[in-house]
Amino acid sequence: MQKKRLFTFWFIGLLSMSTLCAQSSSIKVIDFKTLQTLTNNNTDTTYVINFFASWCKPCLKELPEFIEFANNNQDHAIKVIFVSLDFKSDSNALESIINKYNITQSVYLLDEPNANKWINDIDPTWSGAIPATLIINPAQKRRTFIEDSMTYDTLKQLIK
Amino acid sequence: MKQFLVKACLLFSIIISASLLLQFKPNPDKVVSDFSLRNVDNKFVSLKDYPNAKGFIIVFTCNHCPFAKLYPPRLNELNTKYSSQGVPLIAISSTDTIQYDEDVFANMVSKAQKEKFNFPYLYDGEQAVAKNFIAQKTPHAFVIWKKHGEWVVKYDGAIDDNGAEPDKVQEHYVADAVESLLHHKKIKTKSTKSIGCQIYFRK
Repeated sequence: MQKKRLFTFWFIGLLSMSTLCAQSSSIKVIDFKTLQTLTNNNTDTTYVINFFASWCKPCLKELPEFIEFANNNQDHAIKVIFVSLDFKSDSNALESIINKYNITQSVYLLDEPNANKWINDIDPTWSGAIPATLIINPAQKRRTFIEDSMTYDTLKQLIK
Repeated sequence: MKQFLVKACLLFSIIISASLLLQFKPNPDKVVSDFSLRNVDNKFVSLKDYPNAKGFIIVFTCNHCPFAKLYPPRLNELNTKYSSQGVPLIAISSTDTIQYDEDVFANMVSKAQKEKFNFPYLYDGEQAVAKNFIAQKTPHAFVIWKKHGEWVVKYDGAIDDNGAEPDKVQEHYVADAVESLLHHKKIKTKSTKSIGCQIYFRK
């Protein structure tokens, strides 16, 4: 009996610890297939997918523009998603960027070492340099890819 | 007749789409020009300084980029292996030093010393060589080969298929291209894409 109670305590403890840990880390590590399923639905939502990394200076420069755009368009069917190309071993650097810029949007870490296998599926014109942004609306069959830095205004122009 | 028309249309659309696809193909068989750039030892280096070279491995790299930082030991290995076979490696830094202080010439000198580079590390301050090659990011590797006195791009893209974990590399793109050229075989993969730090061209 004693043993069973101890086990239950241990189990509840483990569960709550894992939920806590999951909450403290806002990064979701995904593979390319998962990234595709995230965007291959048929809702009339416009997805703005920004490819960035904590080590990429021009990416960090444009980050606040994306965040502001996302925050100002919460009522519209627009969803901004950040896809980090940081190394999995560098997730701490990514975490501190999320905190520093106060990113509340979804941040995914794409764990796919051989980029040659998936870059063309994002866009055949992409060289692999970041920052890069993909704007898609599956229902409207809209797809725009930009391999360059973006501003709030260019985002607004491209989406409206 | 109708069948013939359908076939002709099909053929026509295949030709059109093939030519469109070819436009997107970045570099293969493009001719690049020789250059003269300052090495970290302060001497100028040109391709013509290597009269016996059959080809070169040219790697656009830099100090600051985390992806580029993963490769120095692998670049040393490639140069050790292939310079003796007539295919030396030359590294070139073309990134905008106004944007990245870490990439200034003095830091290139210390980087080459620290990493024990066994190959030239050249400073392309004007970015003209990167523009000529259409180098887009760091690291961005090219295998060029001598053909009728000209330098032709035979491979362009990633060095291999795993930057972060060298033990898990399965495709050695650059080495495979050099091996194929040395043995007069067809190159399996002529062009690849990889993530890297964009080379910003000053306007």
